[in-house]
Order: sequence, then structure tokens, then C-alpha cells
Amino acid sequence: MTTTKNRRDTVASSRKRWNESGLALLFLGPTMAVFALFSYYPLYRLVYFSLYRPNRNSFIEGADEWIGFSNIWDNLASETFTAALWVSAKFTLMTVPLGLTAGICLAVAADRHLRGIKIFQTIFSSTVATSVAVASVVFTTLLQPENGLWRDVDWLSLNKSASAIRAISVVAVWQNAGLTFVIVLAALQAVPQEIKEAARLDGYGTVRNFFSVTVPMISPALMFLAVVLVVNALQAYAQFEILQPVKTAQPLLYKIADPDGASTISTRAVFSLGLFGVTILVSLLQFNLLEKRVHYGN
Amino acid sequence: MGTDRHSEQPRGIKAVGWYSVLITLSAIILFPIYTTIVRSISSAIPYINSLKDGSGLVPVAVDYGVFGRVLQNDRFVNAMLLSAAISLIIVTGQVLTSTLAAYAFVFLEFPFKKLAFAVLVGTLLLPIEVTIMANIETIRDIAWLNSIQGLTVPFLASAFGIFLIRQAFLGIPSELRDAADLEGYSHLRFLFRVAVPISKPIIGSFVLISFLGAWNQYLWPRFAADKESLQTIQVALRNLGKSEITDLNFGYAAALLSAVPLLIILIAFQRQLVRGLTAGAVKG
Amino acid sequence: MSSVSFENVSKRFGDTTAVDGLNLKIENGEFMVLLGPSGCGKTTALRMIAGLESVSDGTLRIGDQIVNDVPASDRDIAMVFQSYALYPHMTVRKNIESPLVARRSTRLPPPERDQRVAEAAGILGLTEYLDRKPGALSGGQRQRVALARAIVRRPEVFLMDEPLSNLDAKLRTQTRAELVQLHETLGSTFVYVTHDQVEAMTMATRVAVIANGALQQSGTPEEVYDKPANLFVATFMGSPPMNVLHGQIATGTSGLEAQCSVGTIPLNSAASALGAGAQVTIGLRPEDLIIDPDGHLQMEVSLVEHLGHERHLHCSAGTTNVVLRQSSSEPSAAVGDRVSVRADSNRIHLFDPDTGNRIQ
Repeated sequence: MTTTKNRRDTVASSRKRWNESGLALLFLGPTMAVFALFSYYPLYRLVYFSLYRPNRNSFIEGADEWIGFSNIWDNLASETFTAALWVSAKFTLMTVPLGLTAGICLAVAADRHLRGIKIFQTIFSSTVATSVAVASVVFTTLLQPENGLWRDVDWLSLNKSASAIRAISVVAVWQNAGLTFVIVLAALQAVPQEIKEAARLDGYGTVRNFFSVTVPMISPALMFLAVVLVVNALQAYAQFEILQPVKTAQPLLYKIADPDGASTISTRAVFSLGLFGVTILVSLLQFNLLEKRVHYGN
Repeated sequence: MGTDRHSEQPRGIKAVGWYSVLITLSAIILFPIYTTIVRSISSAIPYINSLKDGSGLVPVAVDYGVFGRVLQNDRFVNAMLLSAAISLIIVTGQVLTSTLAAYAFVFLEFPFKKLAFAVLVGTLLLPIEVTIMANIETIRDIAWLNSIQGLTVPFLASAFGIFLIRQAFLGIPSELRDAADLEGYSHLRFLFRVAVPISKPIIGSFVLISFLGAWNQYLWPRFAADKESLQTIQVALRNLGKSEITDLNFGYAAALLSAVPLLIILIAFQRQLVRGLTAGAVKG
Repeated sequence: MSSVSFENVSKRFGDTTAVDGLNLKIENGEFMVLLGPSGCGKTTALRMIAGLESVSDGTLRIGDQIVNDVPASDRDIAMVFQSYALYPHMTVRKNIESPLVARRSTRLPPPERDQRVAEAAGILGLTEYLDRKPGALSGGQRQRVALARAIVRRPEVFLMDEPLSNLDAKLRTQTRAELVQLHETLGSTFVYVTHDQVEAMTMATRVAVIANGALQQSGTPEEVYDKPANLFVATFMGSPPMNVLHGQIATGTSGLEAQCSVGTIPLNSAASALGAGAQVTIGLRPEDLIIDPDGHLQMEVSLVEHLGHERHLHCSAGTTNVVLRQSSSEPSAAVGDRVSVRADSNRIHLFDPDTGNRIQ
């Protein structure tokens, strides 16, 4: 056979080609309009706000004021930004490894043939359907400083920044474990039966089998999870707002969304670009670091 | 989550061991839900008083009526209906725009196709968390704060949806497209009579994922609307039951009830949901 | 019904030429098989007739009309694909009906549509499966649905792209006979692409052998088998393939002969065009080699393959290997036996060693 199966080199008069372009415009138009207005235009505006202070005073005519690149460097080096970045980083480091490990344990436990296993699988995946807001409300029963059940557990106190990050991490670990469970279980069940049997015939023990056969086979799923969970953690907001009566721990997004109106537009624009940069950096880093260790099977 | 009939089931002591592990893990996962149920059905003041010398793990002055009161509460009902309406608009919009865009990428030839695809991939790096600050300025400029369109329009396109449906369309054998060409199918007819029906399972998964995302979102509705009548359930949960101490159990009951629709979806469509959630992971 | 003609037609994909100056006229009502190895350009040629590939160069006609720029759907062509290309979500009825309703401009009124579907389903024995979906059918039944969907259009020309390759051996044999019958019933022009010479030999009224994008030979199956135009056709047709030896023409005691490394092969008068001393490539079909004590080629049996109805003897001498086809009723030789082999002098094919072309 010729290798042309996937080429769309059909007989077409120029009129038909023109029609296809028109149709493509029609089909892609809505998507592109939304992306232009709410993904790319805001990126432009973030850069603009970082460099210009908009004139919001309706009584004074005047152009937006150029504040220059120094606004970017000053804000990125500011105590506010570095502190928020530190909060987000700690939160990420606490929630991702723990959530992943917990989820993998759940998946391994539930990946077996027992009567009623479906019930356990549904319970383990239930946190996926729980929104961050609901999860936060649920955990106030435990974490609330006055009458939560863990109000006397000092290292999970919401009243101090360091312990508040830990407390909020508990919620995120609970949710991450559910997502990890769903995806790892699907990956485990996709490992071909023959490979498991071959490993058994080769005389691998259970533990050795898991680390030298199963983990490499599910590594693409773990890789995907690592990226998703880290990015989610860097972009966490709702848990911090709902759980903390006093916002002692303020992550990056808290400074960007700025519910208290503490910063100027230009400052928040720089922080947004900072989050953008950190997210890209982390994604690239993870791909480079992890890709070598990942087995992509077909 | 299929089971393999060929392998044997653990029996005897081994099975008992695994059941104990699974039950323990379930208890840990469900513990916060349990304490929330306890709080929601316990009358607020007696429960808080009981904390001084009790464990707080058993309901006090049980009052199941709280669920009825939540369901009759205007603010709760309004927020739930608003969330439902917004989710419906977003899901419908995303499925429509993603299907059409995916079709264009797979079956149509047009100039700047690669550029258009790059634009699409680029949006993955520009989630609402990064753009929220500028986007709030934008909808303020066009007077969309506190409006249904402000809550929905920014989410009417989805790169994830396009990738997912595009993958399904790419799986349609090229011979099928050739056969349709010979028979004289127009693009619209091929889209609605062949491509969409064949891709129904994937589109179904996307509907679920899209709904999950729309229903659960917090950040954008939190800042795009501050009027009480335009608060989605996720935003409203923050304040429900905070007005008076006697309402403490009310907020917990509201949180539980707000999760019921999703719980039903999770149980009814587990397989489709998992397929959608794992779509990215399987591709690697 | 129509003829199809390629006039110097080429097809290029970027730098590669898939079809190179093809000249071929497919007559009205013919069962033409385009035969060739993978990647030879036969499928591309077929897809050009269908309008699924554009023509880079030359003229393609269906009937008297030049169709280079006619869109696929306007060519009045039906095609059966290798994978059948059935719509998996539609019932058999909807699948067969599909070409009749695809375009608003040519849509038939429902009663006539139903009648045509029923007729096509009747011809192919699908009446009882009309309300099933393709997924619930066997491979052979799916293949019939694809055929029914093709004939329901009553097209000028039927195109088939390896339609039997997904069937098991038994069903393939049966379907071959049915296709021949269908061709007789409909009397339309069939163009059929395959790499399987058995399909070509059994079904075609004419075979076009294609290699490297160019036509090697066209003719009836017998012509192509008995008088291969060149070494490619000679070795492509037939299984086991024709044995090829190299030799030099000499004049022996009983006339012309070819001296090969394994012995001397007497030639008949057809070789007289060649002078003594000329180099020649000799083609010997396995069935034209006979074990005979008076044979000229002395060889040793290296492998015996029993196929039930016949037997293949692999013989070698030095670096030369030949295969003999024997009836199972003949006495068998054993591995290691020394045998004398004789070639039927009337069935020796001679080719020019430089061009590979047949020497008459």
C-alpha cells in the first residue's frame, strides 16, 4: 500500500478549498474568540499593567503612567512576593509527595479481586467529586481553632502561618489521594496480564515485582499526576480562604486575587506573571527530570 | 474499573487481611465526612457544649430537620440553581465549541492550521489562575461583573476538550472519511451523522469532566460576582451558616447536600469519568 | 457502465512518485485486477479513479469524460474498502442506504430507496440482517454489506481495494467465486486492487501488473502467466516463484543450448534470434522441471515440502538453487538424494539480462 492513507489530498477545485477555509473559520471562530479575549488578551494586559500604572481617577485626565521595568524587578524581589512564593512552595512540597504516596497505596490495596471491591473503589475515589470548597468546609469540623476536633493539636493550628500550611495541606492530601487513586488504579489495570504473569514466572517477589515491573509500566500516569498536582498546588486558593479565620498563610494566588485589596494592580500583575513563570518553569523541569525515567509503552 | 475473571480471588486469612486493610483505609478517607455528618445533625449549641468533656464523635441533640431547612433556604436553593445553570451553559458551550474546533483540526484544510494549533496549546499555560487578575479588569471594563455572561463566557472554550475530541476524531478510520467522500457527504453531514455518533463515548466523558470543573470552580465566581444573588454554591458555602452561631450545623448540612449531585454522577458514571480523567495520563 | 482510461497519468507526493506515466485502458464491463507488491502504486491508481487522490499529470477519463477535476462524489463510482469502511453506529439498512441519502440533490424518494436497499440486500443475502449493526456481523457478512452499499448506487464503475484481505482463507475462496458471479450479474466495470496473484488469476478478465508506479504488463491471466513480459512479472506471478538461471548461448550437438553453471539446457527454435555467445537469463517454472535420468542438470535435494496435493523439491548445486513442483502421486525423493533434472524445452522463458525484457 502507499503511505498516503492519512493524507487528505483529495481532488478539490479551488472553490472547495475556499469553502473548507470558510467552514474552518466558522468552526474555530468561537474557540479562538474566547481564547483571544480571555487567555491571550489578559496576558498582554498583565505585561501592560506591570509596566504602566493605569489612571483610574476619572476627575483627572491623563494617560497611564509608565513605571518601567523596575516595577517588575522590585515586586518580584519584594518580601510580599517571596513570602507568598515560600508559602506556595511549602504547600506544594507537603501535598504532592504525600498525596501521591497515599493515592498509590489506596490503588494498590484496591487493585484486587475481592467481593465488594467496587464499594471500596467508590469510597476511595469519592474525594474527586468533592469540590475544594466542600472539602474545606468538611475539614473545618477538624481544624477550626475554637471547636474543631483537632483544636488542641498544636502543629495543625490554623492560627500560626507555619502550622496553618500544614493544616491546609491535610485537606489537599485528602483530595490529591483521591485523584491519584483513580488514575493509578486505571493505570494498574491497564498493565497487561501477560506482563504480570511473566514477571511471576521469572521469580520476582511481590515487592520487587512492584518496583521493577509495575512502577515502570505506570510511570506515564505518575508523571502526568506529578505535573498536575504540582501545578494545582501552586495555584491553590480556596482552601486558604475558607479554612483560615485569619489569613496567616497567604499563598501566591492569594496575593494575586487579593481579596483584601492590599496591593495595586501593577503589583498584582507582576505577581501573576511570576506565577505564570513559576508554573512554566516547574512543568519544564519536571518533564526534563522525569522524562528520562519514564517508560512510554504503546 | 473492570475485574479480571481469570485470576483467582484471595481466600481465607489473606482475604480477611485485605478486607481489614481496605476497611481501615475507608475509615480514614471517610472520617472527615463522618464528622461533618455528626455536626450537621447535631444542634449547634448543645454540640459545642458537649465538646468540653466529650469526644465530639457522636451526634448530640439530633435534628434531622436541618436538611429540610437547607432545602427550603432561599440562598441555598438560589445558589444551587445558579450553579446548575452556569454549569449547563459552560458544558453545552464547551462541548459545542470543542467538537467544532476538533473537527476543523482533523478534517478540514485551511491556512495557518499549525499556528491555530499552537495558539491552542499555548492556552494550557494560561489557566484562569494566571489570568484572573487581568480578566476581572476586562469584565469590569465591559460591565460583565455580576452577570451570567461574566460567569460563563470565559469558559466557553476548552483546550482539553478539543484535544480529547480531536483524539477521538483521529481514531476514525480514514477509509470511513473516503467512503463518505465518495457518497457525497457534506462536512456538516459527516460531522453530525458519523463523527459525533462514533465519538459519543469520549464526548460523554468530556461532558462529565467539563461539568465537574464547572460545578466545582471557586476562584472565578468568587471574584466575578459579589452580589449575593449571583453567588454559586461553592462561593455561598463560605458564608452559609456563618451568620449566627446557632446556624453552625446549617452550613455543614448545606455543604453535604451541595455535593450530592456530584456523588450521584460519580457512582452512576464512574467508568466514563475515569476515562476522561485518565485521558491525559494514558497518552503520557 | 463505463470504461476507465489512464493516459500518461502520474501521481507525486512531494518528492516520491507513486504512479509514473501510467497508460492503461479498462474496457467497459471488464473485471480488471491491478496486481502488484506493496507500495507499487496500484492503490494510488485506484484512488485516483475514485477521486480520493488528485492527478498530478496526464489525463484520467471515465467513459468519454475527463475527470481530473471532478470531485469524488460526482464521479458515479462505488468503492469497497479494505476495512469495509462501514459506519459502526448505523444499522446495515442505514449503511446500505447511505449513498442514496447522502446528498440532498440526488436523494431518492423513500419508496424507491427502500426498494433499492431490499434489492441489494437480496442479491447479497443480507435481508435478515438489515436491522443489525456491523459490530454484530461476521467478517464475511460485513464484507457483503460493503458490497451491497456499493451496488445500491448502480454506479458506472466498481472499485475494490483488497476487499478479501480481512477474510479467512476458506471464506476468501468462497467470496472470490461470488464476486465473479456478481460481476456477471451486474455486467459493470470492476477495478480490483490486490497483491494476491491467486485473486488475480481466478477473478480477472484482465490483469495489469504494476511495479514501481509503472505498468509492467497487461493481459488475460493466462497471457501474464504464460508469457510474462519481463523478469519482474515472471517472478511475481506463480508460487513457488519461477526459477531464474544465468547462462550463455552455445550451439550444441542437437541445436541451441544454454550453458549454465549447473549444466546445459537445450533450447528450442524460439531462441534462434540469439547468436552463440550471447548472455541470457533463463526462467523455469517449478512445474516445468522434471526429474528424469536423462536430465542435464545434476543436483542434490536439500529440502522436501509436502503440501498434500503437491510437493516442492528444493534442489541445489553449488550456489544455484531451484524448486521443482511435483504431484503427490509421483515417487518422492529424500533429502540428500542426487537427482537429474530436465527442463521442458518448450516452456523455457528467456530474458535479456540487461533490460529484463522477454526475448521472443
